[in-house]
Order: sequence, then C-alpha cells, then structure tokens
Amino acid sequence: MRQNSFLKLTCLALFYLLISPVWSVSADDFAKLRKDSARISTMTADFVQKKSMKILSKPLISNGKFYYAAPDSIRWEYSKPLKSVVLSGKGQTKRYIPSGGKMVEDKTGGAKAMQIVLGDVAGWMNGKYDTNPAFTATIREGNDTMITMTPTGKNMAGMIEKIEIAISQKNASVKSVRIVESATSETQIDFQNVVVNKSIDPSVFQVVQ
Amino acid sequence: MKGLCFLISVFLLASCATLPAIQEPSSAHVKEPILCPFPFLQEKTRFIHTIDVQAAGQTKAVMIGVTVADPASRMFSCAIMSTEGMVVFEAVAGSEGVKVIRALPPFDKPDFARNMMDDMELIFLEPAGELVEKGVFVSGDVVCRRRQEQGGWVDVVAGHDGRVQIRRYSECGALKRTVNMDGNSRDAYKTIELRSAGWLGYSLMMTLIESEMVRDMPPVQK
Repeated sequence: MRQNSFLKLTCLALFYLLISPVWSVSADDFAKLRKDSARISTMTADFVQKKSMKILSKPLISNGKFYYAAPDSIRWEYSKPLKSVVLSGKGQTKRYIPSGGKMVEDKTGGAKAMQIVLGDVAGWMNGKYDTNPAFTATIREGNDTMITMTPTGKNMAGMIEKIEIAISQKNASVKSVRIVESATSETQIDFQNVVVNKSIDPSVFQVVQ
Repeated sequence: MKGLCFLISVFLLASCATLPAIQEPSSAHVKEPILCPFPFLQEKTRFIHTIDVQAAGQTKAVMIGVTVADPASRMFSCAIMSTEGMVVFEAVAGSEGVKVIRALPPFDKPDFARNMMDDMELIFLEPAGELVEKGVFVSGDVVCRRRQEQGGWVDVVAGHDGRVQIRRYSECGALKRTVNMDGNSRDAYKTIELRSAGWLGYSLMMTLIESEMVRDMPPVQK
C-alpha cells in the first residue's frame, strides 16, 4: 500500500509537470488548469533521472522517454541502466521487464502497483490535481515557477517528504521534478526535448520490443 | 501421530545430506601446493548491479542494487531500488547485527534483511571460519572448505574454466546457496549468479553497472 502510494505520487508529479501548460499555473485557478490541460492531445519528452542516496558517492543516472496521447494512452520507458516499459490505455496497464534478451510482461505486484498509478492518469490529464486529498500544492514565483506538493496524510510518513516541480518562466517549459524521500534520499528528473501536439504512431502505445 | 512423526523424520532426513567428498590431489597435481581460490574483496568497494530475480526459471523482477562492502570491518551497506528510483530496501550490517533503514513490502518480511546480508557476505567477503580441508573434488576442481563459526560449511571451488563457485551448506550438509562468478580476475563481480536451494528456490543474476574503491575520509584533526 505504501509502495503504491509512493508510485502514485511519483507519477502524479511526472504527469503534472508534463501536461500542465505553465502559463495557466495559478495558486487558486485549478479550474483554468483543467481547461488548459484539455488542449494537449499528444506529448513526448526525454528524461534524465538522477537518484541520490547516502550510499551513493554520486547520483545514479537513468534515462528514457515518455509518450502520451489523449485521452489515456501512455508509454513510460526507461532505457538505461535498466530497461523497463509501462504501457497504459483503455483501462489496462502492463509493465515489461527484460528477460533472456527480450522484454516480457511483469506479472508481479509491481505491475499491479503501476496499474493503480496509471489508472488515475485520466483524472490528472484533465487537470484534476487539486482533487487528490493525498497532498497539498503551493506555488512560488522566482527565476523558475516552483510548485511544491506536500503529502497530507500520515500514510506517506517516512516515504516521501515533498515533490518540487520547477517550471521555466523564460520559455514556459517544465524543467524538472524533484522527489524528496528523506534528508539523504531524493530523485531528480530533468525533462528535455518536450514536444506537444505532434502525431505519435499508435504502435508506440502497443508494442514493446 | 505416528504418521506425523514419520513424515517429520523423513523431512528432516531429506533436508540433510552428505558434504561432497574432498580428495587428495592426484600425483599430477601434487607438484604444486593447492592454493585456495580467492575471488573476495580486499578493499572497501561500492558496487551497483542490475539484479534479475528468477524463480522456476522465469524472471520475476528486475531491480537495481547498491552494495558497499568493507572486508576489513566486515561491514555492509545495501540498497535495492526499482527502475523508477523507488528505494524499497536499505540496510546496514556489521558486528552489531543488521539495521534496517527502509523496507517496503514485500521486503519487510521477517528474516529478509538477515538473509540478504548473509548472501552479500557470501558473495563479497572471504568466509570467516576456520579452513578445515582442501583438496579436489572428483571432477578435479580445487576446493577449500571452511567451518563457519555460526554453524555450517562453505566451499570455495575453482573450476577448470577459471570460474569460481562458492557453496554454503547447512550444519548437516544440505546445500543452501551457490554463487557463481568469473574468478579471481578484477572482473570477478562483473556477473554474479546466486542460487538458493530448496522448494522455494530462487536465483539472482547480478550484472555490474559500475564499481569503485571507497576511500574513507580520515578523521578531522582538532
């Protein structure tokens, strides 16, 4: 349950930063946020994930690619150092992991957890960030617009302290998301090459090789 | 009741076995003294591996594991995380036992931390027990056998192909773990296979992402 909650927040942060048109961000205007979110029909982005922990001398770097097509098709793909792919759409979610040189479906609890996570995506795609009682969101203006999401319930205690989403005011693009698990453990995801409303081959959401 | 006792006796007998016999080397080998295989760490080192967890011949999970092992103090730090960066388990182990820092289900089960640290010790550190026998197996593979202080036995075997195998047995000689690695080379930890014996046996296929020596900072002079 705690694991699922963590994944939910992680994914929530990911989708929040990817699909939120930053020009609409306003502390009290979630209705407008929902309206602007509806304008995005597709999205692709590269991401670099930096995992920092006390046990590591330097961040562990992972990278991959994210795809979205309205209303609910998602491909979340890690390529290095370990490959994994999550496909979600039409109410179904499948996770694929490498085995014997090919990708096979992960039928363990991890896949079920991802299904729970991505099952909520439809709501997030509609900009319903303020309807999740698991956290509160605040916005701070600066060189970057910083959205801080803080868990409200005790069920997150010891798992996640906060999520920070940085949005560039210069070019209105989302720059990064930082998930702080504890004082000695955090995950920073930097997004690059974000492209919206460009056609994506439907096979991207169906085929894993 | 008699039937139950019989079944328990059969189970206990089946759980035990005879340790593989170690022989004197043949005359062809006697020219040189037997050197015990030593694939183990000699300096404090940090490893990052991908871990492929298999059971019944099928991949069940893939994870990323971080291990810092210090042969001098026999201390370990371990962390397991998902591809997505979620840390599901973190613990340290040393002379004072195992301290779990973080353990999410199913890694919070009783004995998981202790068993995992025992496995890491088997892979990375020279067995602590007394060397009781060395020689060769029937196959001709060189083997050194140690008696573990906490009970049980550990064989370190050098195969003809240059690979090293580590086997841990229970007190009564039942095989519990088998570790296969590349050998005494600096690439010994490039690929590691750990197999757990028994009805619920599993295997871990560990593939090295990166490793580095760990230099502890000297204490600050005041």
